[in-house]
Amino acid sequence: MAVVYMKKLEEEPDTYDEKFTTLTKGINREIQEWILRKIKSGNSILEIGCGTGSLAAKMAILGNNVVAIDKNPQMIDFAMKDFPDEDNLQLLYQIGSFSDYFVTEGSKDVIVNTFMLSELRPFEQQAFLRYAWKTLKQDGRLLIGAEFVPSGFWKLPFKIRRWRFKKKIRRLKLRSTHLVRWFFNYLNPIGFKINTIKQWKHGSIKALELIKINKNQNNEPGFYQPNPRNFRNFYSQLRIYRCIFTGQTDHVPIEPGIYQSGNPTKNSPIIVTANYEFTYYKVMRDLEGIDAWVLCLDSDGINVLCAARGNNFGNAQLLEAINASGITNLTEQKTLILPQLSAGGISIPELPKKSQNFPFKVVYGPIWSKYLPEYIKDRPVRKPDYMKIAKFNIFHRIRAGITHTTFLFRKIFLIPIFALLILFMLIGRLNQIWWIGEISLNIIITNFLISILFPLSNFTRKFIYKGIFFGLMNIIILGGIGWIIHNSIIYILWHLGFYFWISYFSTMSFSGYSMATSPREIQAEYPVFRPTNLTLIVIVFVLLLIIIVFKPINFI
Amino acid sequence: MTETNNKSCCTPTSMDNLTNFLNTKIFISESKCTGCGLCGDICPFGLPQPTNNGKFDIKNPELCTECSACQRNCPAQAIILQEQKGCGCLWDARQRLKNPNNTCNCG
Repeated sequence: MAVVYMKKLEEEPDTYDEKFTTLTKGINREIQEWILRKIKSGNSILEIGCGTGSLAAKMAILGNNVVAIDKNPQMIDFAMKDFPDEDNLQLLYQIGSFSDYFVTEGSKDVIVNTFMLSELRPFEQQAFLRYAWKTLKQDGRLLIGAEFVPSGFWKLPFKIRRWRFKKKIRRLKLRSTHLVRWFFNYLNPIGFKINTIKQWKHGSIKALELIKINKNQNNEPGFYQPNPRNFRNFYSQLRIYRCIFTGQTDHVPIEPGIYQSGNPTKNSPIIVTANYEFTYYKVMRDLEGIDAWVLCLDSDGINVLCAARGNNFGNAQLLEAINASGITNLTEQKTLILPQLSAGGISIPELPKKSQNFPFKVVYGPIWSKYLPEYIKDRPVRKPDYMKIAKFNIFHRIRAGITHTTFLFRKIFLIPIFALLILFMLIGRLNQIWWIGEISLNIIITNFLISILFPLSNFTRKFIYKGIFFGLMNIIILGGIGWIIHNSIIYILWHLGFYFWISYFSTMSFSGYSMATSPREIQAEYPVFRPTNLTLIVIVFVLLLIIIVFKPINFI
Repeated sequence: MTETNNKSCCTPTSMDNLTNFLNTKIFISESKCTGCGLCGDICPFGLPQPTNNGKFDIKNPELCTECSACQRNCPAQAIILQEQKGCGCLWDARQRLKNPNNTCNCG
């Protein structure tokens, strides 16, 4: 678990070893000893990600020829200063990583790698395995120590701890490490077999001894292709709901890689998309009945539009996916069909510059995946308007409304609602708990109204004006209903405050869904929004206190 | 990963001056435009429209969301746009007010 903190520790090499040992409760030392026992002496070793060089030095002292690389110059600097004081040591420290450090193919007996897997994205892990495969001699060994997700019961406490650490990491504004989720799937297809596994802490830390196998006798490592996922069953439907309910905040990644729609041949079209689970099901369902390759690149479990704007669906990810998935071995097709909305992240003119022989022609397909079949069939030179214009129609808006409502309850109203509940219990007003239900219901209705009636506010592009418009509308509609039900003056004041605020706030927050908002406009509006929002919150809070203290007539 | 956003055909300062001077978010340089129509095909709002002389022009630049799709894909680098980092969502704006390098964490 501690591995999440690694990024922080790496900033201070001199205390790295000590602190890391504390974090892993000494397991890193045990892994080092395990590795030393496994390699004995007389081997030619490459250590990737050597850190402070503590393991590399020990391996060299045992009589091995060690080359140790790390991409962090500070670490190498520290390792060099700490160079062991012995004669005839064959130990070389170099700055580099597996993606850029050249080693003669088939030249090493052993490759060692401790606590680095969690820093690699899924495609990078595959690339790392292929690099190790190429560098190793026949029957060479790859020794890995890393943090894994335990299986069975111990998965649960692991996930809870991980979630807590992640929150902390986010607060400290650190880049977190990745969860090593699918690593074991890659081993056999790429060309490794597991010889020994040693586990610590119920399998949350493992040490692996892998042996290189030459599967297809062509002296090339294989490529991994993820298992197809059923996109029509009940489970997939549940996963779609999960994505809709948590859309605004959660990353929901599936394994990146090549998937197949139907039985694609060497000439079938290649559709590129994000590895957000919702996106995958949507694309696969829309493609049903068509033979095509579907390349899910690693957008970190984010949808195409957001990923493209946020540097998660760009040239780097596209090239990574093409190289790591081995798509060029599967097909002779030379055209990639990208989602139109990824154009905000991809740059076609830059692609050949980044990769010397970029083998593909890239075209942008339709804006919504439901037009993919038509696009593939007709391949229009100019897309008709319905295939390229972003709409925010009633279905999109309802989905956005649902996502936003769940977002409000999860991230904003969860604690206040519980606080109110406990307060009501403490002051002995159990018979008024229904009122909290009414507030929750009103939050839902407000969001529903905004999502249905959103086009009414098209008279302006400013979300603050839209917010005021819907706030006033909400006062009239919900306030009117509240007046009829409760018939109380103080209560009407609460309506004015709360309904206006919730509407104003929700409309502002809707900006991200409409697709038509520009970052410049919303960033210019935010400094105005913030103080007005805070003022409204204070007013709402005061009104709430008044209601609780004075118990207006008819309400109590 | 961040480098993709930084690159553009000109230096940011000269772009700043040009777009500010013209008081517009985006425009297509008529002399550079080859009329290939890619921008019109990828703009989610269909803003670039063909003109009489076979080139493309943006009639309603105020509707542009500065997504930079056309600019980064234009083969002739004919589109002048001062790209604003971030997406159009409120939470992104909130994070960026604290620190311009922050993101909304969903992208």
